[in-house]
Amino acid sequence: MILELKKFGKILNSRSSGREAVLRARQIINGNKDAQEELILDFKEVDIVTPSFADEFITGLTKEYPRKNLKIQGTEGNTVTKDVLKLININKILKSRTT
Amino acid sequence: MGIVCLLLIERQSLADKKVILPKQENLLRYLKRMHLGEILGELGYTEAFEILKQITVPESENLNVQEIVHCRYNDEFSSRLGRFERMFKNFGLNEEDTKRALVIVGELGNNVFDHNLGNWPTNFSGAIITAHNYPETKRIEFVVGDAGVGFLGSLQNAFPNLSDDVEAIKKGLEGYTGRVGENRGNGLKTIQDWTINNFHGMLTIHSGGGLVQVDENGIESKNTCRILGTLAQFVIYYR
Repeated sequence: MILELKKFGKILNSRSSGREAVLRARQIINGNKDAQEELILDFKEVDIVTPSFADEFITGLTKEYPRKNLKIQGTEGNTVTKDVLKLININKILKSRTT
Repeated sequence: MGIVCLLLIERQSLADKKVILPKQENLLRYLKRMHLGEILGELGYTEAFEILKQITVPESENLNVQEIVHCRYNDEFSSRLGRFERMFKNFGLNEEDTKRALVIVGELGNNVFDHNLGNWPTNFSGAIITAHNYPETKRIEFVVGDAGVGFLGSLQNAFPNLSDDVEAIKKGLEGYTGRVGENRGNGLKTIQDWTINNFHGMLTIHSGGGLVQVDENGIESKNTCRILGTLAQFVIYYR
């Protein structure tokens, strides 16, 4: 399933908001009958995401759903979001789940 | 202006507290435009507050000034980020630089709340934010201040033997955090990395009695006048 981050806000900031977003995402994912093994985080139309939010949200989801295949999309054209995801070692996080 | 606000907070409980405002009309108009009167009123500096209250200045008088903003809570701060986004755009930053600057502001503000929540030294909590644009040199100064425990106060939770403000600031800039048992600390590294490498700018941290500046030429530090809490200033140059 695709989780659209823009529905959590165009400006995603702070660890406390990231933690709250994990709790909300859990409701959305668990209540989705079509939720499969793949979980796509779509950053399309998100203006900014801070490292604090990204770290808290993505790390939180990986802990919550250790068996789901996590993917990122929608960062095309948004260099800053790409840089933020690099900063939190997103590739390492995603890679650790496929090995 | 950040240091003035912290001094006002530090002395708010003194019975004979007083602010002597400048006499020059243009300076008074500038202070009014900065919304200094609101902080003076909030902290009980009645006389100075009344003087500035008498002055009428349209918000459009100086569009290169971001007035002093006091955000008491993290949610209040986050909700202001949209306003700072418009401010950076109005100052002349392009889309990408606006987003990058906003991430820096976001992380600086998050640090204020993450390291002081439940532990504010006075009854004045939250972040104080102000900014100034210098269009002739395409330079923006942005300050996030707080009357909190400072770098030393926060890092001593993790490093009890730490006793020097300058060393504490340097440790924070290296990515160490005072949040014991939590995997954190990248925020400040990101702030200095982007300020220097993307904006060719400068990051200055004044916390307690320590002052540390980092830019393309390296790091400089010294002991200086003691303040309550921390002032984090980043200077960026835009295209």
